[in-house]
Amino acid sequence: MLERRLYYHIDWAMLAGVFALCAIGVAQIYSATGGFTHIYYTQIYGIILGVFAMAICLSIDYRSLADKSHWIYLGILLLLMYVLFFGAVRGGSRRWIDLGVFNLQPSEFAKATLALVLAKFFGESRRGAITREDLAIAGALTAVPLLLIARQPDLGTAVTLIPVVFAIAYVAGMPMRIVGILALVGVLVAPVAWKFALKDYQRERISTFLDPAQDAKGAGYQQIQARITVGSGGLWGKGFTKGTQGQLRFLPVAHNDFIFSVLAEEQGFAGVLVTLGLYLFVILRALEAARLAKDRLGAYLVLGVLASFTFQVIYNVTMSAGLAPVKGLTLPLMSYGGSSMIATLAAFGLILNVRMRRFTN
Amino acid sequence: MAIQEDRRRISIRLTVLQVACVVVFAALGISFWLLQIVEHAKYEEMAENNHQRTLALRAPRGVLYDRNGQVLVENRHSFTISIVREHTKDLDRTIRMLSEVASLDVENVRAVVARHKSEPSYRPIVVVEDASLAQVAAITARRLDFELPDVVVEEVPTRQYPGSSIGAHLFGYVGEVSDTMVAANDSLKSGDLVGQAGIEKIYNPLLMGEDGAKVVVVNSLGREISTLDLVPPTEGKRVQLTIDFDVQKAVEDGFKAAHDARLTNAGAAVVLDPNTGEVLAYASEPAFDPNAFAAGIDRATWASLTSDEQHPLNDRAIQGRYSPGSTFKMAVAMAALEEGIITPDFQVHCAGAANFYGRSFKCWRAGGHGTISLRHAIEQSCDVYFYTVGNLVGIDKINKWATLLGLGVKSGIDLPNETVGLVPSTQWKQEKMHEKWYAGETISVAIGQGQVSVTPVSMAVYAATLANGGTRVTPHLLKAVDDGTGNGWKPVAAPAPQSKVELDPEKLQAVRDGLWGVVNGGGTGNRARVPGYDVSGKTGTAQVISNAGRVAAARSGKDLRDNGWFVFFAPRDKPEVAGVVFLEHGVHGPNAARVARHIVATFFAKKEGRPLPPPPTPADMQFDFSDPYGLGHMPGAPPPEEPVNDTH
Repeated sequence: MLERRLYYHIDWAMLAGVFALCAIGVAQIYSATGGFTHIYYTQIYGIILGVFAMAICLSIDYRSLADKSHWIYLGILLLLMYVLFFGAVRGGSRRWIDLGVFNLQPSEFAKATLALVLAKFFGESRRGAITREDLAIAGALTAVPLLLIARQPDLGTAVTLIPVVFAIAYVAGMPMRIVGILALVGVLVAPVAWKFALKDYQRERISTFLDPAQDAKGAGYQQIQARITVGSGGLWGKGFTKGTQGQLRFLPVAHNDFIFSVLAEEQGFAGVLVTLGLYLFVILRALEAARLAKDRLGAYLVLGVLASFTFQVIYNVTMSAGLAPVKGLTLPLMSYGGSSMIATLAAFGLILNVRMRRFTN
Repeated sequence: MAIQEDRRRISIRLTVLQVACVVVFAALGISFWLLQIVEHAKYEEMAENNHQRTLALRAPRGVLYDRNGQVLVENRHSFTISIVREHTKDLDRTIRMLSEVASLDVENVRAVVARHKSEPSYRPIVVVEDASLAQVAAITARRLDFELPDVVVEEVPTRQYPGSSIGAHLFGYVGEVSDTMVAANDSLKSGDLVGQAGIEKIYNPLLMGEDGAKVVVVNSLGREISTLDLVPPTEGKRVQLTIDFDVQKAVEDGFKAAHDARLTNAGAAVVLDPNTGEVLAYASEPAFDPNAFAAGIDRATWASLTSDEQHPLNDRAIQGRYSPGSTFKMAVAMAALEEGIITPDFQVHCAGAANFYGRSFKCWRAGGHGTISLRHAIEQSCDVYFYTVGNLVGIDKINKWATLLGLGVKSGIDLPNETVGLVPSTQWKQEKMHEKWYAGETISVAIGQGQVSVTPVSMAVYAATLANGGTRVTPHLLKAVDDGTGNGWKPVAAPAPQSKVELDPEKLQAVRDGLWGVVNGGGTGNRARVPGYDVSGKTGTAQVISNAGRVAAARSGKDLRDNGWFVFFAPRDKPEVAGVVFLEHGVHGPNAARVARHIVATFFAKKEGRPLPPPPTPADMQFDFSDPYGLGHMPGAPPPEEPVNDTH
């Protein structure tokens, strides 16, 4: 089904970047969890499954996918609702569907689905500029899965949907005036949200972030430890599996949320630069794919997919250095997590899909 | 065209996003550069503090040996239980749980923790010293359960003293260093154990080893993962004392017999080699158990020691000042002889009392001794003889010779806080009281009453000086030190004598003859007789209160019984041992002589390799409980069990 011609147009450079990051992630998971543990193998399986998902996403013409996007969207919403009622509970939230061998996290797939449905929506719009009506519809399309995910509760993943709609709406021509208004509203809503929308532990996390020492043993602990972990790495790092902070568990979930901190500790500033460079390269390559896209649908799809990815990368890396409140947001491609890995690789499949079909009709 | 316009707009906005991404990533790069390069040193140190812990390894104190190489004080292993607060989330929970598991008083533990609150959180706060095995087992079981991850059990060397109270005042005890000591001495640090009394204190620099250190890697739960560096502790220097354990034990057995006989439980004894000043035995009673201090004394024990009316922490041998009574008579005799005021043949008629300066002074023997010469006056302890001689000599010459013999001055013994006795003089009275000395006062002084006061250790020196012919040796305890370099014992030179005077051998012999007669003739000290060893000595029975005051104070409940002294040396002509036994409220000097006999007998048996005499039983001692004042039952004294034996 994959024509030979298309095969030549796959962005091998970006793909190499993506798999290099996966490899770095696997290596750091190996280091952080102490060898060939089940966590290590789960991650490998995640990557293998992700490659399949990527192959599927890349082989079907994105335009066909977009035509079916409303069904995919509805399917995801149903899964999210199912999770709310029947999902597996871990750490106080319902995020997973227990498939026996695998726990599926539908919210991870909601990102790409939202990107697809919004790309279709804005891509089909024939009007030159975006109307408020369009924005309202786009907002509603975003709000439904966002609220469902937030109810799990998984505020971190829910928030990653917002960059999707923003990025697509922005490039689709959202008037700068509205961008300004939304920014203003955001600023005004923040205190209200602080008071009413956030839970105690969330408020605590943010206030702790502003002054970690006030709770050095509790919530501030992770943030202080993250900074120590990163800072103690120095230029060349302490060496693979030689990091004291991660190895001795001063930093929790080193294979997951804080994988970048451990990388910074063991590989130093040099490793940080290489990894950040790879991420930037992948992101810029993907933006290039958006620019090259044959149609608006393709460009928007790439942007939507890329927006949540980029947002998550930036947030996680910032948090890893203890410079942002601690939040359960993983680092795509590197952090441990099967669903995330599959969904991310599938999303890159979509980006490759758009790029390689730029010459087809 | 709309599509063209569309493309242009998308292109521009994509460029904006591209630039934004580059800027954000650059900002991230700079942030990491600041953390990892600029502030690296700071975070590296924090990371090290996180996972590296330097633990002090307490050095064992130097072992103390007696003069024959027998171990006196050593070290044993004990366990301490401490809290390391560093990773404690809920300190109070830890305290409650620890208290429950180790059966401790929660409030006590809280108080201990509160006291060390300001110390660095990685430094263990010792909650239990010398924990029982049951406590250790209970804690380690919990530790494995991660229920008490912040509680550590460490093995440390702890001082082990012989017996329960043998040599208590001699060895002293150890305790945690005070803040002022830390401030004054660079080599000490908070938490160190240092000598607080006795040998432990005075030779602390020798005995204290150098603590080692262990740098370990710990994980986030504070559990040790591995050892990075180990500096083993250096044990304190081994120290050999001049003490002879068997003689020491003989002294303590003698006191125990006196205690068991309900005669007295208080007193002191010092036994010297009169030729060198080496201390063979040294005791003060009542004593305490230095082991109780070794691992930190508990409050109740400390309170009972400090509130005890008998003051067991006081070292009577160097800090107690008592009237010497008749034992002072040799000083008066030596002064009179050496100053040429009398000859050994000088005679006095004792009619049971004599008048001086318009006042009648009684001899202890109401009927008098008749006409008596020096030797017999000493042997019979005739008071009238010494009133007369003392009056002839005068207070200042008595002072001069008493001082040369060792009284009224510090002995210079190597123990802390020695106090000085007093032998009065005209100058002393002028300076202290701004009054003239009245010749009448000399009369009381001549029999060791009045203003004279002496410490037991100075009495031992006094006996040694009479024994060796005028050398006021410095009593000392340090014999040799092994500095650990493999060269074995390095003898420590004996300290120089405090003073030296050539006593005329003939005159000295007259006094010695008297002292021999005390024990071997018809004198007051025959209870000290050890056949074949020519023990020479002098008893003394010193009033603790005047006769008038005694009647008034009789109902106060205070122990007003006389103090008993016995100073001795043996053999008479080539003395090898000299010393003093002092029984506080021992009623009669001869009772002290009886204790001295056991000491002297043990000394010679040991020297000649014969079996040591068994510890005396109270019945062996045949103590004299009689009341010399005829006031009936003495306050604090058990009922008399034996017939009155009126000897002094």
